Amino acid sequence: MGLNKTVKGGRGYSYSEIRELISLRVAPQRVPRNVNIITDTSDFFRVNYNDVLLLNNRPYLVRNSEKEGRFGLDDEPKFWVRRSIDLVDGQTKIIKMVFHEDFKMRVGDLVFDCIRSPRKEARILDKVRGHGRFMQGFSVEDAGGNCIRIIDRIKGKRLYDMILESGVPHEDYFADHFPPLLDEFIELVKAIKFLHDQGEKHGDIRTDHLILDNETRQYRWIDFDFNYIHRENRFGYDLFGLGNILAFIAGKGFLTLQGLKQDNSAVLRQLTDKDMNIIFKNRVYNLKKVYPYIPDSLNFVLLHFSLGTHIFYDTTADFFSDLMEVKHELK
Amino acid sequence: MNSSEEKPGQRDGLSKRENIDSTGLIKDRHILIAVDDSKSSERAVLYVADFLGDAPGFCATIFSLVPVPEAEFFKTGEERAAWIEERQSKMEHLLKIYRQILIQAGFPEDKVFTEVVTKEYSSVAEGIIDEQEKLGSCTVVVARHRISKEEEFLLGSTSNKLLHMPKNCSLWIIE
Repeated sequence: MGLNKTVKGGRGYSYSEIRELISLRVAPQRVPRNVNIITDTSDFFRVNYNDVLLLNNRPYLVRNSEKEGRFGLDDEPKFWVRRSIDLVDGQTKIIKMVFHEDFKMRVGDLVFDCIRSPRKEARILDKVRGHGRFMQGFSVEDAGGNCIRIIDRIKGKRLYDMILESGVPHEDYFADHFPPLLDEFIELVKAIKFLHDQGEKHGDIRTDHLILDNETRQYRWIDFDFNYIHRENRFGYDLFGLGNILAFIAGKGFLTLQGLKQDNSAVLRQLTDKDMNIIFKNRVYNLKKVYPYIPDSLNFVLLHFSLGTHIFYDTTADFFSDLMEVKHELK
Repeated sequence: MNSSEEKPGQRDGLSKRENIDSTGLIKDRHILIAVDDSKSSERAVLYVADFLGDAPGFCATIFSLVPVPEAEFFKTGEERAAWIEERQSKMEHLLKIYRQILIQAGFPEDKVFTEVVTKEYSSVAEGIIDEQEKLGSCTVVVARHRISKEEEFLLGSTSNKLLHMPKNCSLWIIE
């Protein structure tokens, strides 16, 4: 950890200059008496609230850790991801420090090797610069040689919350809310195709990795630092994630056997194993059996992700092309 | 034994040009057996040995493509190089054994070649077809791995992809 009381040299800042910059951004009583200026984030646990990260000679005032907001569980703080204020222009940034993780990911009964890769995320940030469907940012190397990603904060809600908060009955939701949402989803699939065409995987496509940007009113993909060792189908796991999101937005949340049992649904008797998701065998993907007003073309796409299928999507291009047919049928 | 791309070496296989006689005719029918270190691949080699071992007019290349994970899966370049070295020598050893199986089944020694390619490849099937085109082999032989439907869905299947890819050769998939 590089802690410098005075950071001068080049176009660096003195300690008092940094305190002055802080005073421009926070209330006078909130300006810390002693400022820790950090240039090497190797031990990210020692980066605290009110510290200043000096990255590429630019000072960022550290605020709270970001949280892994998922599935309504208690949010897990990510200590390596800190909300920060850029002390030069006052913008809020999300600073992602290096947390190397390799682990076995379990999806259903399958286990595969995964890593969290800062370098991959940095590379993708470069490739998607200016693309409205991805989070934006850049990477810098800190004094310890760590690849730090500095991300523009997206103000908005996650897709997961947006869908679950919709209080209308499914039939009304499907008639009024789903068509524009499908248009959005098609654009998001196009964005993933853009990544795949450049040989990059997103790596962690989930309903909580899409944020509706309040400024643009468009969803953006976030968090590209996961990578997995692929076998024959480099993008198979990404496609699986896209199928999950489609089922989520078409069903107004995941439709599960448990949910249908709770509702004493008569449909339960008509469902077979083949109607379930190929990996998550409690999720109903043959949605037409439950919601008969769902168009055939949409159900056909969803069935590609069911246990009954014999044909899988190999590419986002095939998936995209079938979604366009759904769009036409909904018109 | 050839180890191409990541660690170039002396090529031991039979090139398209070398398999053509002075009148422009193909000397031998060239079979490409694509293997990995699985038991199913061994079945594919045994099948070819049993089926073609005594037959004249054939030559075979036993080929293995070892896909190297992307750089971020390794902490350092040295770790990556060591990984490649280890996989490569393991496959070279295995291919020597497979070569002996074909020779013992009746293939002439000068008509069985081996090749290991260790590199980043997004699809093994595409790598096999690249090799088939390079060698001009008329038949590709692969084994079907017994993977579950879920596994095929998420991770894909090389034999299935080969089956559906456009190619100018015949394909034997050994169950």
